[in-house]
Amino acid sequence: MIAALLPTGTTPLLVAAIAAGTASLWLLLPQASGAGGRTGSLGGFFGGRTGLVGIVLGLAALAGLALAGRRLGGLGEEAAFQLVALVAIVGGAATVVTRSPVYSAIWFALALAGVAGVLLVLGAQFLGVATIVVYAGAILVMFLFVLMLAQPTGMAPYDRVSNEPLLAAIAGGVLLALLTTSIGRLSADPPACCTIPSRADAMNAAPSAPRADNTVPGVAAAPVAAAVVGAADPDALSADPVARLGRELFGRHLLAVEAAGLLLLVALIGAIAVVSRGEEAGTAERGTR
Amino acid sequence: MNAVLPSPTTIAALVKIGLLVGGLMTAAAYLVLLERWIAAWVQDRKGPNRVGIPLTKIKLFGLGQPLADGLKIILKEDFTPSHVDRVLYNAAPLLILAASLAIFAAIPFGSVLPPLGIPGLPDPVPFLVAPGLDVGVLWVFALSSIAVYGVLLGGWASNNKYGFLGGVRSSAQLVAYEIPLGLGLLGVVLAAGSLKLDRIMEAQAESGVWYAFAQPLGFIVFLVASFAEAARLPFDLPEAEQELVGGYHTEYSGIRLLLFLVAEFLHMITAAFLIVIMFLGGWHLWGITGSGQEVTWIGALLRFGVLSAKILGVIVFFMLVRWSWPRFRFDQLMNLAWKVMLPLGLANLVTVAVVEEYRPWLAERLGPAGAGWVALGLPWGMFFIGWLMAGLLTPSGTDNRPIRTHGPLDAEHALDTDLVEA
Repeated sequence: MIAALLPTGTTPLLVAAIAAGTASLWLLLPQASGAGGRTGSLGGFFGGRTGLVGIVLGLAALAGLALAGRRLGGLGEEAAFQLVALVAIVGGAATVVTRSPVYSAIWFALALAGVAGVLLVLGAQFLGVATIVVYAGAILVMFLFVLMLAQPTGMAPYDRVSNEPLLAAIAGGVLLALLTTSIGRLSADPPACCTIPSRADAMNAAPSAPRADNTVPGVAAAPVAAAVVGAADPDALSADPVARLGRELFGRHLLAVEAAGLLLLVALIGAIAVVSRGEEAGTAERGTR
Repeated sequence: MNAVLPSPTTIAALVKIGLLVGGLMTAAAYLVLLERWIAAWVQDRKGPNRVGIPLTKIKLFGLGQPLADGLKIILKEDFTPSHVDRVLYNAAPLLILAASLAIFAAIPFGSVLPPLGIPGLPDPVPFLVAPGLDVGVLWVFALSSIAVYGVLLGGWASNNKYGFLGGVRSSAQLVAYEIPLGLGLLGVVLAAGSLKLDRIMEAQAESGVWYAFAQPLGFIVFLVASFAEAARLPFDLPEAEQELVGGYHTEYSGIRLLLFLVAEFLHMITAAFLIVIMFLGGWHLWGITGSGQEVTWIGALLRFGVLSAKILGVIVFFMLVRWSWPRFRFDQLMNLAWKVMLPLGLANLVTVAVVEEYRPWLAERLGPAGAGWVALGLPWGMFFIGWLMAGLLTPSGTDNRPIRTHGPLDAEHALDTDLVEA
């Protein structure tokens, strides 16, 4: 009955898993009335009954997702993928669930490591390593730096509760459902554009597979999209992937790359302008130097 | 592929990992001894020379010292202060050591073995744990930026002023010097046309011109930045014994402290590996090692020996610099990174890009030899111009009088920010 309403290729199991995940997230999110003393540590999750129910639901959701998904092929590859995907999902959930901002940042770093692992398993080496260099290595270290300086004693009240836990969880669940059912089509035979290439397939496949024409409106999405195009190509793994990515970026997506660079430059100049104005005001006030 | 039995490739990778981890740990232990010998030699004293074989009177020049040191530090009381954040306090040393060791998955420690003839194993066997990784340079870069977490978290979780200051200093320093490090690295990647470290060594062996000669500016920038990344003197602000007790590992003792110290030594070894591989020709030495993938057993061992000797040379250089330069002040450190090294790195990158772009064009006009000389001359010209500019235009920052960062009215505010971590 319900299955008839769903888009083709979606199993009730997948929907149930996503629903369970949403409920789990809602229960786990720090709420104003929840157990007050929860710290950021892992032990904090197990405080209170709602937390326990949330964890059980979350585990059920993970199991459902793992069962509903398509298989990759080789046993080792499958196990590696499940492991890094698990790290990414648990890390991502823990990022929003923990109350301590420092722990949130650490969990986020772990989630990024998981995402990088997923990309590495799927053969997108450059993107995987670049994720770590850019996000975990630079941006998140800056976050941590500021958080540590700004968090002297305890946590601020706005860190302890989540503003709209129900709406947030539902929004996340709907987004996940839309993505998995429309793009991934996890359990059906995927269309040619969306096959996840296993290494063996890529080596054996005929080079005549149809190529996805992926034009991207957003600037930030350009590198990702380029990689998706590259990954869908059957000879992506045999040729030098970095050179291909570079050609793609500075050939077809040159305008997007330049626009992103210009945007960053403007932001940089803006930051310098703001800082120097603040300094001027400060020195004028003090009358020193 | 058989799913139950590991494939020959997997076994080969495991053997390489075993050799590498064992070799690195032993090397780290004996490099500590070497460091103490060199320190003693610089300061005109004898240094550790007594520990030999236990229960005998044989001294062996003090070669038993690392074993004794290791035993002592492992048997020390493993004390955890009550005010620390326990989870992160325990995780930080593990994280930093794991990241420092994982770097070596992409670092070649020799050239190739001659064909072994084992079925299922691709010939020739490279001296590299993960030969399939196409982005070796980036892998090294990514994991060395992960190592920052160990320092930062160790400092924060200790809940100690000195530890925290060390952690904050170190994160600022490492993030700042990652940029010149990357710029120096990009020049090499551009010239070699590959992100694989073994390919970079081969490119130098084929042309016979090490990148230290072809890109002097890039070499200097990379050398300075790797000193800073390894937090060695004159860039050892994260620890700064005289100011911060021990910096980020002030509150650590016993085996956890040992993990931090080993990771630090591994950073220095990594830096030496990278300097040798990317700028000093790797396993190549003119007239001795040849080039290409065809090697005999003697050739393979010779290349391994040449690479090891070069790395040892760079490490000795690291240790001599330690006793030759005073530590930077923090503003000098940042000035050097942003106002000297960053522009020099950019200048090097542009020069290399121009040279590589016009090399075929030059070869057509001047012949390969002439093009080679121009390709060498242009970077050296840029090197001297850059040196001159750096000397003339940058703030010298050698003034050692105390600088006022806060006006009198700011005193209260300054007090607040200073007490933030208390």
